[in-house]
Amino acid sequence: MAEIAVQHLFKNFGTGDGLVRALQDVSFEVSGHVFVSIVGPSGCGKSTLLNILSDIETPTSGKVSISEGGKDAAVGYVFQSARLLPWRTVIDNLLFVQSTRDEEARQRCRRFLEMVRLGDTADKYPGELSGGMQQRVGISRAFSIEPDVLLMDEPFSHLDAITARELRKELHVLWNATRKTVIFVTHDVGEAVELSNRVIMFGRGGVLQEDLTIDLPFPRDPADEEVAVAKARILRRFEDLDLVAT
Amino acid sequence: MTSGAESAGGTTLPRVRRFLATPRFARIASVLTFFLIWQFLVPLLPTRLIPTPARVVGFMWSEVLGDTLARTTVWEAFGISLGRLGTGLLVAFLIGVPLGLLMGVSRSAENFFHDFVVVGLAMPSLVWALLTGIWFGLGNAAPIVTVILAAVPFVVINTFEGVRNVPADLSDMARAYHVPRERAVRHVLLPSLMPFFFASLRYGLANGWKGLVLAEVFASTSGAGWNIKYWFDAHRAQGVIGYALFFVLFALLLERLVFQRLSRRVFRWRPETEQVPETDLLAGIVDEQAPAPALSGAAVGGSSELKEG
Repeated sequence: MAEIAVQHLFKNFGTGDGLVRALQDVSFEVSGHVFVSIVGPSGCGKSTLLNILSDIETPTSGKVSISEGGKDAAVGYVFQSARLLPWRTVIDNLLFVQSTRDEEARQRCRRFLEMVRLGDTADKYPGELSGGMQQRVGISRAFSIEPDVLLMDEPFSHLDAITARELRKELHVLWNATRKTVIFVTHDVGEAVELSNRVIMFGRGGVLQEDLTIDLPFPRDPADEEVAVAKARILRRFEDLDLVAT
Repeated sequence: MTSGAESAGGTTLPRVRRFLATPRFARIASVLTFFLIWQFLVPLLPTRLIPTPARVVGFMWSEVLGDTLARTTVWEAFGISLGRLGTGLLVAFLIGVPLGLLMGVSRSAENFFHDFVVVGLAMPSLVWALLTGIWFGLGNAAPIVTVILAAVPFVVINTFEGVRNVPADLSDMARAYHVPRERAVRHVLLPSLMPFFFASLRYGLANGWKGLVLAEVFASTSGAGWNIKYWFDAHRAQGVIGYALFFVLFALLLERLVFQRLSRRVFRWRPETEQVPETDLLAGIVDEQAPAPALSGAAVGGSSELKEG
């Protein structure tokens, strides 16, 4: 079971007058098969947190650890844009991130491409796919390394509403089938409520404001009253904190 | 009869009309008009120093057949020049690529070499041709060194720009997935540098070629440049024009046979609309003031400067 521990995390960018405090004393823990959304307005340090969790950036101070059974956990990352190598085919993009590149890895990559219904695009280049298809390749790439933890940074924000909704459903099915721990960053409160067991609210200046549990059955329809009420409650909380989500 | 005319009017005429409206027709018409005017205007002029295109083509044909007054045929001359160009370019890449990479990753190296590269970009090849002529005398050394000096700044600047433009989002992706360094260099860094290597090759070649011809005029006793000077000394305008046209044909062949195929192969992942434009090399060789190619949207040509900051 994956364990994520974030302890007294600070992250600053720049120095002197140009100092930007991206994260201030952030602490929380996540464990097991949960879907945690991190919600907050633009510039509240959500993406910075994911970048620190995935070793892209180092913290100014504080500690993060992601472990699975006492060892370092495997972490998959779905970015805001698909971030595919345009000069490699779809299947090669998945193989690029595998620890081994043998036939077994190839089969696994094909399996995960099929899970996002893109099995027939394996030999195409990303430029030949639509934005939504590219993002699905990005999602299958993250799942294909069979990660213990999946980090997702606003993966549907660049897509049209209909495609985004389809992909949210697909993601929920994948999450349920694979029992991963997911940390999902979004500025869309509705999306967070639709997908998550837990919502962590960040305020401006990278301060953790609230840690809420969303105890509603899946699958959730945004049109359901309970889902709408939960969304309204979080939005009101943001307003109370004077941190209207954008 | 009537029905035949109607059928022609129904199918052939619109097709002809469509062809007349194409850019291809306009281009062919423009070249044909130029040669026709040239052919019929020249005999009316009060001079015998301007040859008709027929005379130029006649001269070129004799050269191609090996029937020449010069010491070497056009084949031998271009063979010698190509050997020098290839050697010079190879050395220019061996010097320019590591230097460009170093400038791309080290701010100190960038600051140190910056002004030299800018001066190199601005220096007319003629200066290198004259200087190497003085330093190395007649022979192979002066033309080869001229190619190196003329091409290196373009290789450096384009490699440097390439390193600066390596997509950070893809490097971060590789880091987030803990992709081994060697694999990241091979699949992220090198492919993203490829358009810039292409630009280096094109500009290095175009500028190197111009320098080479000049160096062969001043500091050599063989090669395409020497042959054009031979016809200049012999006061034969058809020889000079004929060789100029050989240069154009050479550039066209290089573009069609080498660059287009290589680029199609290397950039086969690109959507059709992003393919490398066809006429860059020709523009680079024929016109000193040619604009920078739209190769990658960032390739650096003759008049560009290093980015500040």
